Amino acid sequence: MLKYIGNRILQIAILLVIYVAIVFFLLHAMPGGIKTLLISNPKLTPQAQEAIIRAFGLNQPLWLQFVDYMKNVFTLNLGISFSYYPTPVWNIIAERLPRTVLLFTVATLIAFFVGFASGKSLAWNRGKTTEYISTIVGIITYTIFTPLLIFVMIWFFGSFLGIFPLNQFLNPDLWIHTRLNAQVIFLYILLTMLIIGMVMLVSYLVALRFSHKVRTRRLIFYLSTIIAVVFSVFFWWVSPVGIYAADILWHMVLPVMTVTIISYAGNMLVMRDSMLETIKEDFITTARAKGLPDKVVRDKHAARTAMLPVVTNFVLSLGFVVSGGVITESLFSWPGMGMTLLDSTLAKDYPLAAGALIFTGIFVLFAHLAIDIIYAFLDPRIRY
Amino acid sequence: MTNNPNTTVEMAEAKLESPTLIRMKLMWRSFKENWKIFSQSKIGMIGLYIVIIFAVAGFIVYPILAATVWKTTSLNAMVSYNPVTGYDFLQNNPAPPSWAHLLGTDPLGRDILAQLLYSTPREFMLGIVAALITVIIGTLIGTVAAYFGGALDTFFMRVADIVLLFPFIPFLIVISGMMQVDLLTLALIIGLLSGFGGITIVLRSQALIVKSRPFIESAKISGASDSYIIVNHIIPNVMPLSFLYMMFNVTGAIFSEAVLSFFGLLNIKMSWGLMIYTADTAGYIIGSNIWNYWWLWLPAGASITLLCGAFYFIGRGLDEVVNPRLRKR
Amino acid sequence: MKAVLEIKNLKMYYDTQAGQVKAADDISFSLYEGESMGLVGESGCGKTSVSMSIMRLLPENARIISGNIFFGGKDIVKLSNEEMNKIRWAGISMIFQAAMNSLNPVYRVGDQIIEAITTHEPDITFEEARQRVASLYKLVGLDPERMDNYPHEYSGGMKQRAVIAMSLACNPKLIIADEPTTALDVIVQDTILRELEKIQKKLNMSMIYISHDIAVIAEVASKIAIMYAGKIVEMSDSVTIFKRPAHPYTVGLMSSFPSIRGAKKELVTIPGEPPNLLNAPDHCRFAPRCPFATDECWKKEPSYEEIEDNHFVACFHPQNLKKQVRANVG
Repeated sequence: MLKYIGNRILQIAILLVIYVAIVFFLLHAMPGGIKTLLISNPKLTPQAQEAIIRAFGLNQPLWLQFVDYMKNVFTLNLGISFSYYPTPVWNIIAERLPRTVLLFTVATLIAFFVGFASGKSLAWNRGKTTEYISTIVGIITYTIFTPLLIFVMIWFFGSFLGIFPLNQFLNPDLWIHTRLNAQVIFLYILLTMLIIGMVMLVSYLVALRFSHKVRTRRLIFYLSTIIAVVFSVFFWWVSPVGIYAADILWHMVLPVMTVTIISYAGNMLVMRDSMLETIKEDFITTARAKGLPDKVVRDKHAARTAMLPVVTNFVLSLGFVVSGGVITESLFSWPGMGMTLLDSTLAKDYPLAAGALIFTGIFVLFAHLAIDIIYAFLDPRIRY
Repeated sequence: MTNNPNTTVEMAEAKLESPTLIRMKLMWRSFKENWKIFSQSKIGMIGLYIVIIFAVAGFIVYPILAATVWKTTSLNAMVSYNPVTGYDFLQNNPAPPSWAHLLGTDPLGRDILAQLLYSTPREFMLGIVAALITVIIGTLIGTVAAYFGGALDTFFMRVADIVLLFPFIPFLIVISGMMQVDLLTLALIIGLLSGFGGITIVLRSQALIVKSRPFIESAKISGASDSYIIVNHIIPNVMPLSFLYMMFNVTGAIFSEAVLSFFGLLNIKMSWGLMIYTADTAGYIIGSNIWNYWWLWLPAGASITLLCGAFYFIGRGLDEVVNPRLRKR
Repeated sequence: MKAVLEIKNLKMYYDTQAGQVKAADDISFSLYEGESMGLVGESGCGKTSVSMSIMRLLPENARIISGNIFFGGKDIVKLSNEEMNKIRWAGISMIFQAAMNSLNPVYRVGDQIIEAITTHEPDITFEEARQRVASLYKLVGLDPERMDNYPHEYSGGMKQRAVIAMSLACNPKLIIADEPTTALDVIVQDTILRELEKIQKKLNMSMIYISHDIAVIAEVASKIAIMYAGKIVEMSDSVTIFKRPAHPYTVGLMSSFPSIRGAKKELVTIPGEPPNLLNAPDHCRFAPRCPFATDECWKKEPSYEEIEDNHFVACFHPQNLKKQVRANVG
């Protein structure tokens, strides 16, 4: 098992190197070449330009430039942003990357569970009307032009219902009076979520070892999770900065909902097809023959095995979801990687755009790795 | 050299039809069979109808309208329906649908319906050209990699792995920011970028299956060269799969173009995405009640959705033809 | 002696788009404690349909039209799914064909057996369940250490043994073995059959063997029922079936089975195919293929009668002497 994980990490690392190389050559293929890209900012003083030329070896032959570029990327030296001069590109990315990660992870988890559950019940109880409606809804959300969806959502939730805020990360009026750094609050929220996640994982493993009765296990798991969540909420509630954290979370709702809707249909359709195939398998008949209750057969046997293609499919749809995320972030002005990418491109801030591109790719590769590892946990057949 | 038709060889040849004719007959027969299967797929047929409607609208209806109704040099000489420059100053723009302008006008006074129809053939061309390039590259690389195997195979598969993972739209965004991208260039770029990706993997698997069939062995023994085998034996057998994936690629291409022009990144004069961009930058969408100026974004958005969806549906319908396992019994 | 299983006039049909398929038509037989019975027939003759009806594991488009299945005195046709769940595995268990697919690939084999045990005996502790699995493993000839492996780590023969062990887990009164050895090679087949027989005798269980291979049935069953096109055409104890087959189909089956002893004889095949059960004919279903068919056979269905002590046949022209038959057919 560990060997498998180690193997995957190595492969992803190699892919990472190849990816950065491809980006380099792509950038160089643009009119002007990599040199223009990094120093064509009129704001740069001649000394600054010299410094960059030295750091990236821009006066050398191409292959040496390539080596230098790779070295720099892997030491997180991505040049200096034009529009945020003199902030280095890495600083900007480091600030915004966690926001995209949070948006993406939460949306993906929800989309997966909702798609998983609905696909599962759709396949198990094949009712004509529900199946028909769900398929239609699924197809619509899958093919709809993303900005169109976002317009409707913004109108529906923003203007019509008037609930959620329509853009940005936080409400400037609220924050104007404090000296708090939004990024810090955000990172603390991230930390809280990570802690809750860890608690869930640990309690799951402990429950697994501790008892063999399903009821006890469930008790341990759910109890721990609920305690962790309640405790965290309480902690934020009584803290002086809680209201700011709530503000950020409130702004997160619409973007998360949008990305969830975009990725939900794929999960549901694949899960439904996969379930239908799995139900025909012999081990399902055996499970029923053993006298297991209907729900147990459906969840423990059918769904658990049918889940595997959904996870695989998820890897393939990563690109699609990330693209959707870019559009979502831009339209909601959610200051993450996606919006950075677009804005920097429009502003002709090449170093930042290139850096955002590289890190979007890195993000995708890491997501791929995470999913591969999860898959190895789910399917014992591939661990060897 | 003899004129005697009783020679065995000549007699045998005389009885055979030309091989091209036979091939055409076979193709026609298999086309009819496949059509029967395809027509049973509800979703495929819906897709096909939508595509046909759009094609007719774009390639037939629009030129007719442009030449007749819209080029009238009558009293409304100032009212020209040129989608790009036909500004109608005679009313308060953007104007809601009226009899003069069936879908209203945009903030600059241009007829929305004309814009829609004008862009239709362009979207088609973009989608099909991009998809064709993708499929050609993918098929060539896939079959060559499968046929020769070894290091070549591994190399292309690794490249395909990465391209598959590429966040596609971000790449396109950055590229279009760094250079001027018009429709043809976009089609080329999309084609090149996707050509090395997932389609290569799928086609390579298929080519491997074909390669293991006995008739390839016999072709090799008869002395056929590698390129001959690839072109005349392997490629025709993987073409159905290529065609299938072409449909999905058209969807992706049209969608990508729409997104890029929606953000104003492309150097083109008119497209559906651009229509929404115009409306957005003029401030008619975000902020106020979007339904007030619905004709500015809904027709364009719906067209994008429908055409993308239609090709996707055709792809799903074709899936059943190409993949016999999926057929309903 | 009380019957463990008693089936009376069972009719089970499938509703398909093309019509009604009469998969099991008027099936009746009884099985007593400790008895092993063989159900023989071609593919599609309805033997699996009968076993699925007993377990009530029918697909949605299948219905038991009429008839009774008495298990331990209760008619299980009328039970609800929840009530039937109590009987499944604890009362009647099954060994499926192609054991490779009977085990869920993502769970350990031992856990899947324990699952069966804990479902029917919720008060048992985990340790006790594990011990039972270990002893079951020893019974079927598997190493108890392998309990915690996954199915893909077992060989074909091991999987079949594991499935047999699983079927014994809740000490059922009746086991239905549906082609338990078809997917295995001949040597493993032989071993498994012998062990099954040993276990059955040791635990005094009733067993129904389903097979199309009469050689397999001959080894293990004391009573044999021959099925054809959804009906039982002959039933008796195995010795009678082999020595004095009465139904022409049975005769054909016997003749198609080569004997190692004795002179080399040409194998007889039965030409033709079973009828399409969509439009089940109302005459003898074997008539098209029967070398002894007369007009009577084409007019109505033969009734199921006892022609000898404990020897039932549904035929207008039951054959009596094996030698005479060979002269006619050979």
